[in-house]
Order: sequence, then C-alpha cells, then structure tokens
Amino acid sequence: MKVLMQSVDMICCTNRDGVITPIKFRISDEKEENRIVKIDRILDRKEEKLAGNRMLVFTVQSIIRGRECRFEMKYEFSTCKWFLYKI
Amino acid sequence: MERIILHVDVNSAYLSWEAVYRLQHGARIDLRTIPSVIGGDEKSRRGIVLAKSIPAKKYDIQTGETLWSARSKCPNLVVLPPSYPLYLSCSDALVRLLKKYSPKVERYSVDECFVDLTGCTQKKTAEETAWEIKERCRTELGFTVNVGLSTNKLLAKMASELEKPDKMHTMYPHEIPEKLWPMPVRKLFLSGPKTLPKLYKLNIFTIGQLAHASPDLLQHHLKSHGLTIWKYANGIDDSPVVPDGRAVKGIGNSTTTPFDVDSEKEALLYLLSLTETAAMRLRSNKMLARVVTVSLRDTNLSFYSHQRRLVSPTDSTLLLYRQAKSLFKEMWRREPLRHLGVHLSDLVENKFYQTSFFDDTAVSRQQAIDKTIDEIRASYGADAVVRGLFPHSGIPPLCGGVYEAFPTMRSLL
Repeated sequence: MKVLMQSVDMICCTNRDGVITPIKFRISDEKEENRIVKIDRILDRKEEKLAGNRMLVFTVQSIIRGRECRFEMKYEFSTCKWFLYKI
Repeated sequence: MERIILHVDVNSAYLSWEAVYRLQHGARIDLRTIPSVIGGDEKSRRGIVLAKSIPAKKYDIQTGETLWSARSKCPNLVVLPPSYPLYLSCSDALVRLLKKYSPKVERYSVDECFVDLTGCTQKKTAEETAWEIKERCRTELGFTVNVGLSTNKLLAKMASELEKPDKMHTMYPHEIPEKLWPMPVRKLFLSGPKTLPKLYKLNIFTIGQLAHASPDLLQHHLKSHGLTIWKYANGIDDSPVVPDGRAVKGIGNSTTTPFDVDSEKEALLYLLSLTETAAMRLRSNKMLARVVTVSLRDTNLSFYSHQRRLVSPTDSTLLLYRQAKSLFKEMWRREPLRHLGVHLSDLVENKFYQTSFFDDTAVSRQQAIDKTIDEIRASYGADAVVRGLFPHSGIPPLCGGVYEAFPTMRSLL
C-alpha cells in the first residue's frame, strides 16, 4: 500500500455509543474530478495517539472501478478531518 | 522505606515529536533518520538549533549553535520551524501515560518527568514497570524515551542520561562507583560553565574524583554550591517528587530583538514591553516581587546583568518598570544590543502589602489601573489595550512569554 494522506469529504455515522462508522466519501483525483467511493466493509478499526494526537484508523474494503480494493482511512479528532491514508 | 523514583526523558524531544506528527500525517521520511534540526526563525535573529536528530549529531552539530554554522557543517541539513502547541500536547500525552502508573508525576520540564513509584509496584517489579513505560511510549505515542530508575531524583536523572536513545538504566546507590563515578564531571547535574573551570583547577575531572574530594575544600572554592555538587557526586539527594509542579520562584521574560537596539528610547520601550508581560504574569500568579533584574546581551553575544532589591515588594507594572529603567541606565555601555531581559524574583504572596513612607502616593490607583487593564486583556485579547508609546514604534507592546508554560531547563531538583 502507498501512503496518500489526502483529505476527503466523508459521510459517516455515529451511533448512540459514540462509535463512528465511515459510510462513503468523495475524493478529487489528479484531473480535479470528483469520485465517490462507498465503503463496503470495515475490516479493522483502531485508535492511535502518536505524538499525543488522537486518530481513528480504519482498514476498509470497497469496489473501485470494478475491482475490490483494500485501503486505510484516518479520522483526526482534533480537526474533525477525514483522510484517505493508504491505498 | 526506600523510595523508587523514575526519570523519563524524551530523546531529542522537539525533533522526535515533529517527526512522529509528520509520519502520522503521511510524511514519507522519518526526520529522525536524516540529518535534521528544529531551528528558530532566522529573520527575527532567533536562528539557533533547538533540537537535532542523531544523524545530525554525527556532523558535530550542537544544540544552541547558529543555523548558519550548522548548515556549513552539513549542507543537506533539513531545518524545520518549532511548533510549540504540538510540543505541549505531546508533553501532556506523556504525563497522562505516566499518571496511569503513579499519582505522583512531576513535570520537570516540557520533555522530562519524575515519577514516584514508591508503593505502586505490587504486581510488577520497578524494573519491569520502567521497561513497560519505555515500550508504551514508543508503541503508543510513537517517540522514544530514556528511563532512569533509582532511589532519588538525582540518581534517576543521571541514570537516564547514560546511553541514548530508547534505553532503560538503573543507578541504585550500590551501582554509583561503577556507573556514576567514571563519568566526566561535566555530565553531573548543576556543574555548568561557571563551575567546571574551578573544578578543573582543583584537578577534578570525573564525578568520582569530585565525590572523593574534601567537602571543606569544595566549600572554600565554590561556596555552598560546592557542597551541593559534592552531595550530588555521592548520590545524596532527598528532594521530593512534587506532583503539581513547584511554587514559582521567579518570573522572567526576555526577547531577542529583530534589529540591533542602539538608542536608549528603543531599549527602554523593549524593557517596558517585557516588564508589562512579566508583571501581568506576576499578578495572575497572585504574587509580589522584591527583586528586579535586567539582563542585556550585546551584538558580540557578551552577557551582563544588574539587579536591585526593592524596599517593599510590588506587582505594579509602572513601579517595576521604573526600577528596570534605572538599572538599565546604570549598566548600559551604549553598545548595540540584541537581547534584553527582565526577571522578577524573591516572590511573596500578595495577601498583604507592606506600605512604607517611601511609597508612591498613587499605589492604590496604580493597582486599580493594572487590575482593570488585566481584565480588559483577559476578555478582549492581549492587544485590546496598549500603551500609547508603542503604535508605529515597530516594537511589540507585549514581548515574549507566550509559550513558557513549562521551562526547558531548571536548576533545582
């Protein structure tokens, strides 16, 4: 997997227990075109607090251009931003 | 019962915190693996090395040297500006982790903590706990620390200095001859540039030689400080771990000026600006100061200072500034200056105010105006009210003291 760390627009769901689940996100590619990716499965979720900065790291799976892809998304608590971390 | 004290010291703190933060945000290169430094802003003449990576150390780059000389030693050097809010949040994260092991955690400086583990090691031995803390810092927080383990703060601190990075060392009293005494005396806590030449003259080069020297001889040559370092060389220290930080002993404020200050008017404006910030901090700590010190550094980097004891302690910006001004006029040799500082010490609580015959008649009016200005600044920002002297002078009305929440260095255990 390659590190990308690109910020994305995200629709996510937070349940009554405060568990955050990403649903789908929009990312602009090199040609400035928007692409919408629906997250099909969440394979793993963990919290990291490197340098004291809390982030949620999700390992997820989606179908992109007809191919099943596995990638990582990050959510940063301090800025409320979502990132496509590795793909 | 013998105490168990841990000293936790972050390895090249500013640099590793910056590196971890960048890696977390997708940086491809770990700054710790290339020659890199955190450096001050060169445009405002604060261009010195604040922290260096281990590969930068191999080029003989020293903390505190100018960026210009560091670059001449290593042309490929990566220089990054400091980001103090990040460092504070990293430091907070470290303290939070340590507090899971003991309620007695003292933040000694931004990157150093003492932990009193006495009575907190039922399930594991002290060594296992120390090792676990070191490992958790690396895996959870992403930066490496050195952990020193001993029976007092001094020995724990000396232990954590032994071999870096990412190591755990013990220095129990029985290990002193083997681990502490062979070290050069310059490594001992509190033996700095003023003390070392005197020790060298006495033929003292290692901590062991200092430990075996006669305390009377040391006291004769170095006064009470001689006795202190003799005790330290023998591993004697009974200072407690103070969980909520210690009482403030002095409030200082200094600034490196972006241009050479060569007129009295500009220098006095800087002093006023520094006194203003320092006095605000004094008042917010509910203290009064009895001693005012003014320090200057000229363009050749030679440093000198003057201090004066006041008849009665005060927290008034104006009264403190008057003293600073007269000290400055007595000492300044009219050479261009690049660094000015004001330090307020011998602090007492402001519960009582001793009036005297020599007081300014307007003391209570001064206190009222200081209080009002502090309140306006607290509500509407520090620049809501400034003195009329400052606009268009090119000198900030409130100098320094922004991120001094935790000192970077201390001289008291």
